[in-house]
Amino acid sequence: MRLKQTIAMAWENLNRRRFRTSLTTLGVVIGITAIIALSSLGEGFRIAVKTNMEQGFELDVLTVIPGTIIGGYSYQKFTDQNVTSMKKLENVTTVTPIMQITGTSLQNGDKKSTALVVAAVNFTDFWHIFSNRLTFEQGGLPDPSQNNTIIIGHKVNTVNQTGTFAQLDDQVNVTFTIRSFPPLTKTVTFNVTGILAESGSSILTSFDYWVFIPLTTGRDIYQTEESDVIFAQVNNPEISDKVADAIEALFPPFRITIIVPITFIRQVDQILNLIQMFLTSIAAISLLVAGIGIMNIMTVSVMERTREIGIMKAIGAKERTIMTMFLAETVLIGLAGGLIGVPTGYGFAQILSIILSRFMLNQGGNDGVFSNPEGQQSTAVNPVFSLEWTIIALVFGVLICVIFGWYPARKAAKLDPVQALRYE
Amino acid sequence: MRFVKTMTPILEVKGVKKAYRMGNVSVSALKGVSLTVDEGEFVAILGPSGSGKSTLLHVIGGLDRPDEGTVFIDGVDIFTLNSNQLADVRLHKIGFVFQFFNLLPRLSALKNMELPLTLADVGEKEVNEKAKKLLALVGLKERIDHRPSELSGGEQQRVAIARALINDPKIILADEPTGNLDTKTGWEIVELMRNLNAKKEQTFIIVTHDPNIAEQANRIIYVKDGVVEGIKEGANKK
Repeated sequence: MRLKQTIAMAWENLNRRRFRTSLTTLGVVIGITAIIALSSLGEGFRIAVKTNMEQGFELDVLTVIPGTIIGGYSYQKFTDQNVTSMKKLENVTTVTPIMQITGTSLQNGDKKSTALVVAAVNFTDFWHIFSNRLTFEQGGLPDPSQNNTIIIGHKVNTVNQTGTFAQLDDQVNVTFTIRSFPPLTKTVTFNVTGILAESGSSILTSFDYWVFIPLTTGRDIYQTEESDVIFAQVNNPEISDKVADAIEALFPPFRITIIVPITFIRQVDQILNLIQMFLTSIAAISLLVAGIGIMNIMTVSVMERTREIGIMKAIGAKERTIMTMFLAETVLIGLAGGLIGVPTGYGFAQILSIILSRFMLNQGGNDGVFSNPEGQQSTAVNPVFSLEWTIIALVFGVLICVIFGWYPARKAAKLDPVQALRYE
Repeated sequence: MRFVKTMTPILEVKGVKKAYRMGNVSVSALKGVSLTVDEGEFVAILGPSGSGKSTLLHVIGGLDRPDEGTVFIDGVDIFTLNSNQLADVRLHKIGFVFQFFNLLPRLSALKNMELPLTLADVGEKEVNEKAKKLLALVGLKERIDHRPSELSGGEQQRVAIARALINDPKIILADEPTGNLDTKTGWEIVELMRNLNAKKEQTFIIVTHDPNIAEQANRIIYVKDGVVEGIKEGANKK
């Protein structure tokens, strides 16, 4: 029998028992809807979390700190030779050391402020690395030849909620603690050349609470040639873990710690992938249940049509033909279920995402851990349309129908014609 | 000049035995049946109910495999074939007519008739041509778009006969074709089959328990208790 006729016959058979067919198809629709809705929402969720995470990192920047964070933290410093050897590594574009100075106080006339960190940096290199995060509200980078210049972070410049600490070209006094015991302090006057806009929080720190002075000035004050942290920028974030290995190899074992943002992201991504797979497989179970429904209904259908099968066999229908006839019916159910279920699934995901985002807003969803330089967060979960998942769901739906339709179809094909003809 | 032509057997049944299991008891339906039917013959198999005649017909038609013995149709030992090949024999060489018509209830009379052609992958054009010719031959022109339930018994049996003939089979096997019809209609159906036999030279084998109908055949084969009791020439002997 030709395929066209087989399909036409199957369609006719299904159409004849519309109510039963609809209910069976509904099972498949629910299964496919669940798979599509959960996978597209899961993907949206994954992207939302990933984007949120990425806002907290400069993905192409490795942060090299001395010692180990936990266990045997031996405070050491980096030399310029360390910096030079890092610069020679492959795939490293910029390496810049900084001094992290704490225990300082800032004074501008009678106004006072405090900074979490006074960072002595090479302005050109540092801004090259963090150009996205460090934007100016006022002023800009000073001429590198100038000493005693200062750039003030957004929050440092905010005093008493609304007031400002300093204006451009103000002379600001910074008092440094050179030694704790016996106490020795040193006050240096700086010219304000820039005030930063809000930078947003990164995983490491918030630059809003930092002020920046030239590295040379910092070294002069403390009479040192060493630095506390080295930032290394790589040309491709994907290979940053390899670069980190290369940097680690420059030092004796356990002497430094390197923060590799991409490994965080990868791990989170892996976890989210697992969650998505888990959710989708739960959805797949509902399709399995639909498959059992198909098997049930087809078995009943074969029994009801026993005589018809007998007639078909008597007039020369092959086993294969009978089998194809019944399988065609289950495939049609699977296809119909898929074609209805896919758009329903995406629609359902849209509705769920709206409900979810409202719920998150009500829960104060804007208190995310990280934010981008504009201070905004992407907490909204937008369902993602994926052609891949659509095809997988359709194929899986039809496959389930074929698998569960196989046994009844085979049973029909193997019926003994004489007994089938006698069946009342 | 007919008798000069060498008669070739279209059907040869040799030592066919068939037993059924009914619970724990084995019931022998056929206890070694042998017979030969020539091409173009009109043969009646006559016997009381339970004599095994229907089983014999099923075995001849390749619907039921015998426990022992062979059946040759057109020179082919059909039970050496696999189930697909056997289905092809039923499709192309054999036409079945049943007591209860056995039309598919959801298909129109015309579609029922065309079903074997559909199974044989025949093109639409040829299907239409063949169907038209046969409709005239079996005397059905109207009501062909009706479903079986909307047709009379006689009409249904004509559709069934048309279905049996549509693939031009060598043998038409009819199992009590008049058993579910009133006497008048029954005779009409027998007449139709006899005419078709005469016109198309196809072999007809009819199973019946009605001696009057059997009398219309060229030959009557008496079956009782699973054996051939005797063979007699009918009123229309060749």
